[in-house]
Amino acid sequence: MSYELPRKLVTTVVGSYPYFPEALKALQLRKRGERGREYEELVRRAIARAVEDYLSAGVDVVSDGEQRREDMAVFFAEELRGFRLSGLVRIFDNVYYRRPVIADRVGWDHEIIVEDFRYAARLSKGRPVKVTLTGPYTMYTWSLDRYYGDMRKAMLDLAEALSREIKALVEAGARYIQVDEPALSTRPRKEDVILAGEALGIMVGKLSNVKRIMHVCYGKLERLFPEVLDFPIDQLDLEMKNSNYALLELLKEYSFDKELGLGVIDVHSERVESVDEIMEGIGLGLEILPPEKIYVKPDCGLKRLSRETALAKLRNMVEAARRAREELA
Amino acid sequence: MRLYAGICGSFPRPPELRRAINEFREGKIDRVEFEERYKASFKRVVRLQEDNGLNLLTSGLLLWDDLLRPFAENLDGIRLGRLLRFFDNNFYYRCPVIVDQIRWTRPITLDEVRGLSEAASRAVKAVVPGPYTFLKLSEDRFYGSKDKLADDVVQALRQEIESLSDLADFIQLDEPSLVDPELGEDDRRWGVELVNALLEAVGVSRDKLLIATYFNLDSRSYSILLEVRAGLHLDLSSTKNADHILMEEGYSGDLLSLGVIDSRSIFPEDPGDIAGRVEKLLEKVSAKALAISTSSWLDYIPFEDAVEKLKTLGEVLRRLEAGSR
Ligand SMILES: [Zn+2]
Repeated sequence: MSYELPRKLVTTVVGSYPYFPEALKALQLRKRGERGREYEELVRRAIARAVEDYLSAGVDVVSDGEQRREDMAVFFAEELRGFRLSGLVRIFDNVYYRRPVIADRVGWDHEIIVEDFRYAARLSKGRPVKVTLTGPYTMYTWSLDRYYGDMRKAMLDLAEALSREIKALVEAGARYIQVDEPALSTRPRKEDVILAGEALGIMVGKLSNVKRIMHVCYGKLERLFPEVLDFPIDQLDLEMKNSNYALLELLKEYSFDKELGLGVIDVHSERVESVDEIMEGIGLGLEILPPEKIYVKPDCGLKRLSRETALAKLRNMVEAARRAREELA
Repeated sequence: MRLYAGICGSFPRPPELRRAINEFREGKIDRVEFEERYKASFKRVVRLQEDNGLNLLTSGLLLWDDLLRPFAENLDGIRLGRLLRFFDNNFYYRCPVIVDQIRWTRPITLDEVRGLSEAASRAVKAVVPGPYTFLKLSEDRFYGSKDKLADDVVQALRQEIESLSDLADFIQLDEPSLVDPELGEDDRRWGVELVNALLEAVGVSRDKLLIATYFNLDSRSYSILLEVRAGLHLDLSSTKNADHILMEEGYSGDLLSLGVIDSRSIFPEDPGDIAGRVEKLLEKVSAKALAISTSSWLDYIPFEDAVEKLKTLGEVLRRLEAGSR
């Protein structure tokens, strides 16, 4: 089955979708270490429902909804070699969580999300499925390092390990590879940004015929410039709606000419943006880039929203992109 | 030179205290039982410090949800706002929202510090937020004037500090915002002036007061910090060349606390290496009282790893003492 993507203003998602009850049950089983048939079956059903929602909303490039992952760093830490989980660390008030601990040399020894990609691709009626991986900078800064004591060494090993997964994904047919680096916008020092770029080189630098994307969100995104312009990626996927499109000015200043994942949906608010409102956001993007280079999508993953809201937001987003295309034609 | 070893501020809540807090908040246990269980955890944390040979103890700030919380909850004029990221950590504090005139009406940390001084057989240190960080991390919806707000914050903290002065050997004012790399030079100078205004106003001997900075140290901020008229705590773990800066610029004053144990990392630390670093620093810096410490609070690592930090700190102290003999 083949699906023809629109030439302009392709719609997509960042990755995660609200957990379906099946996914929540699967996450509980996973926590108890019960990763047998029941677990796999539940994950599959959840992925199928996420893909179904994307299709019903009309999204062009979909994902598996990250239904298997509770925490984007912990998930990969559990699957890669070299990690264990820490004791409880406070995040605020009396709320604690376990952080990944790098306890040994990091490596890759089995496929992690390849099967989920295959499964989603089987259900997506020909629409491309984007795969998302948590990037080395985020993996490192959200972990406690007991082994390397050296950020650079750790990140290069992480990049090498993730590149093995990416290779397997590409062999399985993935053509949209997104590396998520949310930590990169918190307070990156210049050397961190450069290192993140170097790590991306290891992961996706040599890939061809693949859309290489980096997603970053919330924080001091301006700190990534100008270094990010030289990153070996085709598309920079950014949160824009939440910061009122302030970054567009910056992109203009730097004559940004990669593809842009334009965040037009606030994922922290249950308020559903109207079609007109989203079209306005798309219009702002069109002031600095041609429509062929703009991917229309939410600011970030949708997992914190209710499913009803997420679906309603996606529907309006798809409609806004369709009307914007019409206006362009 | 007196030599001390003690943690900078908080110690992670022991597991049994985490549970007790949850049960109390859910109404499963009453205040009496909660207090009892808190006291047991508190004693455990004080004993852990003593057993590892530390000689400058803190209460562990076990009931503080964040640096500002006891004050946001107990000063007049403040209500709790949203969760915000605490500097570059994966840790969030609740933003104090100032909605009315700020007033200190009763001691806030006095019981905690009294408990500490009764339980401890060594010197004790109390912790309060510094005025500048307090302002920086709050949201003003009442004053509309930075100076008026600053005056009232200074007055409130002054009264709190004075209430503690008989019980604590040292009182630490936490000012991570003063070394925030995001801060412009003018703001930093204003911050130091604000801290000095408080130090000027407070009726407590200066040689028992110290200003704690953490999460960063750079030469520009350090040279401004030297104008603070009290002792200093410096984070020597978060920036690579912090030791170098201190060596270059030097220090001579009453009280210096060196954050040589990295409170945000669990990478194994070698007490011998750290003692060596301190000895080298002592070639260039001098103080009547010198403390070795964790770089910042210990909230960022698990309880069991924080216990390791106490061991390391105690061992560094023993080596330094042996070396000076
Ligand atoms: Zn994001």
